[in-house]
Parts: sequence; structure tokens; C-alpha cells
Amino acid sequence: MTSGARKILIVDDDHDFVEAVSAFLEAHDCVVLKACDGREGLKLAKMERPDLIIMDIIMNERTEGFFTVQEIRRTAELKTVPIFILSSLYSRLTDFGIPPDSGWLAHDAFFSKPVDMPELLEKIRQRIGGHDRTTGTPSGRKAEP
Amino acid sequence: MSERAEEEVIVVIDDDYAMRLSCKKILSKMGFQVETFEDGARGLEGVAKLKPALLVVDLKMPGISGMEVIARVHEIDPEIIIVVITGYGTIDTAVGAMKCGAYDFLPKPFSPDELRVIVNRGLERRRLALESRRGEVERALLKRRFITFVSHQLQTPLVAIHQYLNVLKHLDNTPEAAAKRQEWFDRCLERTEEMQALIKDWLTLATVGGGSFSRQQVKVDLKEIIAEILNTCEEMAAANCVSLAAQMPENNYFVRGDRTCLSVLFENLIANAIKYNKPGGKVTISAEVLDGEIAVSVIDTGVGIPEKYRQFLFEEFFRIEGEGKKTAGTGLGLSICKRIVSEMGGSISVESQVNVGSTFRVRLLAYRAPAGEEDNNRSSK
Repeated sequence: MTSGARKILIVDDDHDFVEAVSAFLEAHDCVVLKACDGREGLKLAKMERPDLIIMDIIMNERTEGFFTVQEIRRTAELKTVPIFILSSLYSRLTDFGIPPDSGWLAHDAFFSKPVDMPELLEKIRQRIGGHDRTTGTPSGRKAEP
Repeated sequence: MSERAEEEVIVVIDDDYAMRLSCKKILSKMGFQVETFEDGARGLEGVAKLKPALLVVDLKMPGISGMEVIARVHEIDPEIIIVVITGYGTIDTAVGAMKCGAYDFLPKPFSPDELRVIVNRGLERRRLALESRRGEVERALLKRRFITFVSHQLQTPLVAIHQYLNVLKHLDNTPEAAAKRQEWFDRCLERTEEMQALIKDWLTLATVGGGSFSRQQVKVDLKEIIAEILNTCEEMAAANCVSLAAQMPENNYFVRGDRTCLSVLFENLIANAIKYNKPGGKVTISAEVLDGEIAVSVIDTGVGIPEKYRQFLFEEFFRIEGEGKKTAGTGLGLSICKRIVSEMGGSISVESQVNVGSTFRVRLLAYRAPAGEEDNNRSSK
């Protein structure tokens, strides 16, 4: 793991959500790659080898995220990339006949949308390391203590 | 008649060898797999193993009685149809058996035809029961998933707004946030509007589906409604550089229904025709009086709808995400149209050619004055 900028891929079809999350992450020393659907996400992931992937579930195709996660796990060079699911759907997985703890969805952590950004950043840091530079604001504060 | 399931198994339990043999012969000829047993105990084992669709059982047997067999069989599978054979044919015994869950009874002696008829009837009933059970399960699942998707759609704009606010809160006073603040506020406002449109459409859909509108049955002049809509859409059309035209030469485009719903119907279709048009394009509304029907076509010269999407077009939340520009919309407009039209006993169809345009055609029953009511041929307002 490099201690430099963490490279994070966001796969989500809501442009505004991506804009907000990536602005925060970029302000905290992350390089953010953006994809608006599963196919593009997979392509970018193979090309850029991100340190972590943030994945939505319901995109253009209703359960696109599920299948993209499976596809990523089947790809040799991406097998170990941590995947964080960010979705407003997770608590209702049982409606799809999928028990949330079945292990069917091979993700590393789940966050319910909307997500508290400092919390997400902390979880990202715990998972993939990397140190946070001070943001260089007048107050000199960091996002995390 | 519903289709017969493959390989239906019938079990016959009777201590009388001749009876077992003749039942087996008759039923085998009908194409069933038939297994026979000479007493209740063995019969029950057979039922547990074979899971038959239907059981023929003699009420009077040594050992476990027919009555007890009925109860135990339904513990194994309540969907098994049971026909009892009553040798000492009092109606009382047969009624008792039916109270225990038997489907019907055959008093001895009976003809092969009687057996055939009763077996066919019983199996038909079982197939219908199984089918409707399956249907119920499917409908319940669909409904639950549908609610999930609705709540997801309603949450999506809220999530985006919340996320902007959360980031603004934590990035406050940083140059990153300062540069973005105004833009993000504007986006939040836009997403709020999206949310409002969704709730409005969702309520319309729920109202139309609730059947409350079918009570509002007045004579409505489509020519008048469409002229009003074209008026209100003028601004939107101008903004999209699209021209509007109506071709409604006759004066008798009357239907019976709810005025508001009919307005919603044509508003949605005309707004779509404008939104999915091209600059310099045209929207034409033409109407015809056919035999007892009014057909209204909303014709655009827009982007068209690829064939593969047409079957999903009227489903809730279905949207075609084109490459390039994104058109605002809730994904509910056409399902609202479909629901309004079907509640009125009409139909809606679409013809389309990619890059040439689409035509949505609505057919509604023409207004007919109820018996005894004088039709003065004027629209009621």
C-alpha cells in the first residue's frame, strides 16, 4: 500500500451524489475516479486499479451494483480490492430474496445513503491506510481527529 | 381449461382387489401414473413417498379407517385432492368425509365414466388452486419489490441534497467548498423540484389506480381540453424550439370520463412529445372519430424509441437513459397515462422510429348519451 494519495473509484449514477462525495474525498488527499454505471466502473477499475471502490446498487439497471460486484470479484487483478457499498437499498435486500448476511454480495462494508463523510473517510483510512494531510485551511483542522 | 401438469400421480387405497384393479385400469388409460395400496397404513406411506395429485380411498377398510386416512393425507399435503368411495352408501358418511376435507364421493357401484368425471373435475380444481397460489405469491413479491423501488426513487433526490449539505458542513471555509457552494445550492434546489414532481406524479398514479376517478363520469370535449393544454404548453415548446399544431377538424370529439384525468393524460403525452423532440421539431395532435371510438394521436418528430424498450415504456419508473443529454422526468408519466386509459376502457399504443419520431395513439370510447338522457351535443363543463 502506498502512503501517497489513495485512489478511489466511485460507481454511482447520481451525478450530484458523486459530485458531493468526491469533493470531500479530494479535499482529503484522495484521487477520485468516477463511473456512472457498472460497465464503465468495471472498465475503469481494470485500467486504473483503484485502492478502493465505492459502489451503488440501483443504477440504470435495477440491480446493476450486485452484478458489478460479482464481476469485480471474478476479475483476478481486482479480487482483493475493498468494495464499499453505498446504497439506500441495503436494509431491504430481503425484498430481493437475498439475506443481507448470506455472503452473496462480496463487499467489505456497507453504508446507508446519505453517508456521513468524516465517518466514511475514517472507514476508508482504516481499510486501506494512507495518511491524511492537513487540509491547509486557515483553521488548519483535519476532517478527523 | 388449464393445462395438465406433467405426470400427475394418482394413488388408490382400497382393500378390495377388484376395485383396485379396475380403478388402476380406468385411470391409467387416462394417462395418469397410478399406484394402488391395499390398506390405510401402506397407503399413507405411499402418499408420503409419491406426493400424488389425487387420492381415491375407500372409506371402509380394516385397520386405519378411510376417515383417518383423509386427515393424515392432508397433514402430508393439503393440496392433495381426495375422492372417497363409499360402499355402505349413506349420504351421511359421505358428508362426514367431505367435512374432513374430502373433495367428493363416489357411491358403490360406480361406472368408469363417473370415476373419470370426478377425477378430472378434482384435478382441474387442484390446478386452479395451485395456479392462483402461485399468482398470489408472485403478486406479493412484485408488490414488495415495487414498494422498494418507489421508496428508492423518492429517496434518491433527498440523498443527493443531504450529501451536499453534509459535505458543505464539513468542508465549510475551505477553498474547495467556497468555489462550489453556489453551484451546489442550485443543484439542491433542482433536486427538491425533482422530489416534488415525483410526489405529485406518485399521488396522481395512486389516485387514478384507486378507482375513485371512475365515479366522475361527465361528457368531456377532447377538442377543448387539448386546446387548453396546447395553450399552457406554448412556453415550454418555445423554450425547446418546437412548434405545436392540432388537427381536429370535427366538432364531436366527446368522451365520457373525468375531466382532470383526461387533462393529465394528454398533458403528459404532449409534454413528452415536446421534451423528447429535437430543436426545430414539431408536435401534432390529430383526432379521428372512428366507429364508436375517438382516436387521438400525439405525433412528434423527436428522438424516437428503440424497439427493444417499447415493451417497458408504460412501466413505472422505466426511463431510457440516452447517451448525451439527460431529460428531466419522473419515469411515471406514461404509466399514469396507461392507467387512466385502461380505467376508461380504452387503449394506448405507440409507434416509433429512432431519430424520426414517435406517435402515441389513444383510443377512447366515444360519448354516448345514457338512455333517457337528451343529448344536446354540447360539452358539459
